[in-house]
Formats: sequence, C-alpha cells, structure tokens
Amino acid sequence: MNEIVLLDNEAVRALRDPAHKKHRHVIGHVLNAARRTARGLQVDVGVPTAVRVEAGWDRTAAAWAFVNRLRIADLPLGPEHADTAAGIRKRTGVSVADAHLGSAIQSAREHVTVITSDPGDVRVVAEGRRVEVVAL
Amino acid sequence: MTREEAIDRINDLLDSADPQTANTSMRIPRALRDAAALAVRELDVAPSTTILTANALRAMLEGAVVMAALELHFEQYPEARPSLADLAVAAAELDGHPLAQQPEFLRRAAGEVQQRHPDASPEDVLLWAEAVQSCAASREGAA
Repeated sequence: MNEIVLLDNEAVRALRDPAHKKHRHVIGHVLNAARRTARGLQVDVGVPTAVRVEAGWDRTAAAWAFVNRLRIADLPLGPEHADTAAGIRKRTGVSVADAHLGSAIQSAREHVTVITSDPGDVRVVAEGRRVEVVAL
Repeated sequence: MTREEAIDRINDLLDSADPQTANTSMRIPRALRDAAALAVRELDVAPSTTILTANALRAMLEGAVVMAALELHFEQYPEARPSLADLAVAAAELDGHPLAQQPEFLRRAAGEVQQRHPDASPEDVLLWAEAVQSCAASREGAA
C-alpha cells in the first residue's frame, strides 16, 4: 500500500527554516520518504493548498526554493475537497486550513501520516479516519 | 549547469505532462531484460516491460532528486542532517510502530547498531530494537 505524508502549517514552517527547532525532525521524514520512494516503496509528501497559504509558502518566491525542490505535492482545494472541508468546518469549527487538511485525510486512498504541531486538531478533522499522527 | 539547476530541471521533467515517447538506445544486460519480460508476462507486475522500466526509473529519480536537494541543504546547514537515530524515530513514526513511543530506546538501539554497522538503515535499527525488546520480554517471562 502506498503512503502519503501530509504537512500542517507548523511542519511547513519547520521545513522552511533551518533555525526552527523541529527542522531536523521534519527533514528526517522527508528524507525517509525519499529513501523509500527510491527503493520502490512509494511514499508521497503533500500539502493541502489552504495549509500552504496559511504557512505563506509561495512557490514563486526565492525564499522557498529549497522546499520547492523536495517534490512536495499540492493537494488543491477542488470542488470535492471544498465540500468535504466545508462539512468538517461546520461540524468541528476548525480553521479553513485544518478543514482542508481533514478533507485530504478523509479522501486519501493511501496510508496517511500527518506531521503536525496540533495532534488533537488532526484527530478531530480526521473524524474517525485512521491516520498516523506525528507530533512536532 | 549547477547542481541546483540540475535538480530544478529534473523536477520539471518529472512533473511534465508531455505524453511524447522516445526510443532509446540504452543498453541493459540481456538477462535483466529477459527477467523483466518474464515478470510482466507471468507475474503481472506491470502491463508491459516498458511501463515496468519507466515506473522503476521514475521512482528512483523521484527519490534521488529529493535526496540530492537535501544533500545540498546539508552542505549549507550541516546541523540539519538527521542522525541514524533521528531517522529511526521518524521511520517508526511514519509506520505507526509502537516503538515510536520510546524514542530514547530507539536512540540507544541506533547507537548500538551503528557501532557494528556504520551504514545501517533506519529500518535496521527498528528491527534490532524489536529484537532486543523481544529478548528482554522472553527473559522476563522465563524468570
């Protein structure tokens, strides 16, 4: 079974900033994913686009050049995700970015791991969907 | 071309939606070619040897280009390079392995493994840690 690692806002910020205290932790996950992918065990890393907005990740900005090279896929907020996210937000009262993260978790066909500074929120937006939560 | 430019170009090419194909004059060992053909025909590992080859090449490149980008980053920020112990903890977290809840135990295991096997992988550490834990449980059970 393929795997996907999703990043929340803090994970993106940690990845971007070498001075962030969790930088090496998130780097470790990206490196493990790359190592496994190279061995044929596909492990994708993705970020919901609403999370990317919250983290200020502009792919056209030079400041994000390093993170852009890590093949972290955008998970867009298309119509289907928007509907799911709207439902999550209505039921749980989380932010738009967290609701989008929840819709990404719930719609994933792969085994999902989320790297987050807020494990509680991730479990709330997963709404019972099995997810591995890595706390930063 | 700098390494950064090469990484960016490889990423662009990997993301390309261009459906064009090209014949290549790549030479591979005949036995490998025959093994691939047999695996496709008899084991259904892929719809064709071409797809099998392309998928394997893509997976290798997708992983390698990220590792190359990280290596560049580590040259600039050596302290950002995760240790074997860091990677073992991350691997346990990624897999939802129960040992992810015992990071200090995993760090000790990484130190023990690395003493004998400097090139050990994070998965080697997990296996070693599991074995140590299992032996300890057996001893306790016998006592």
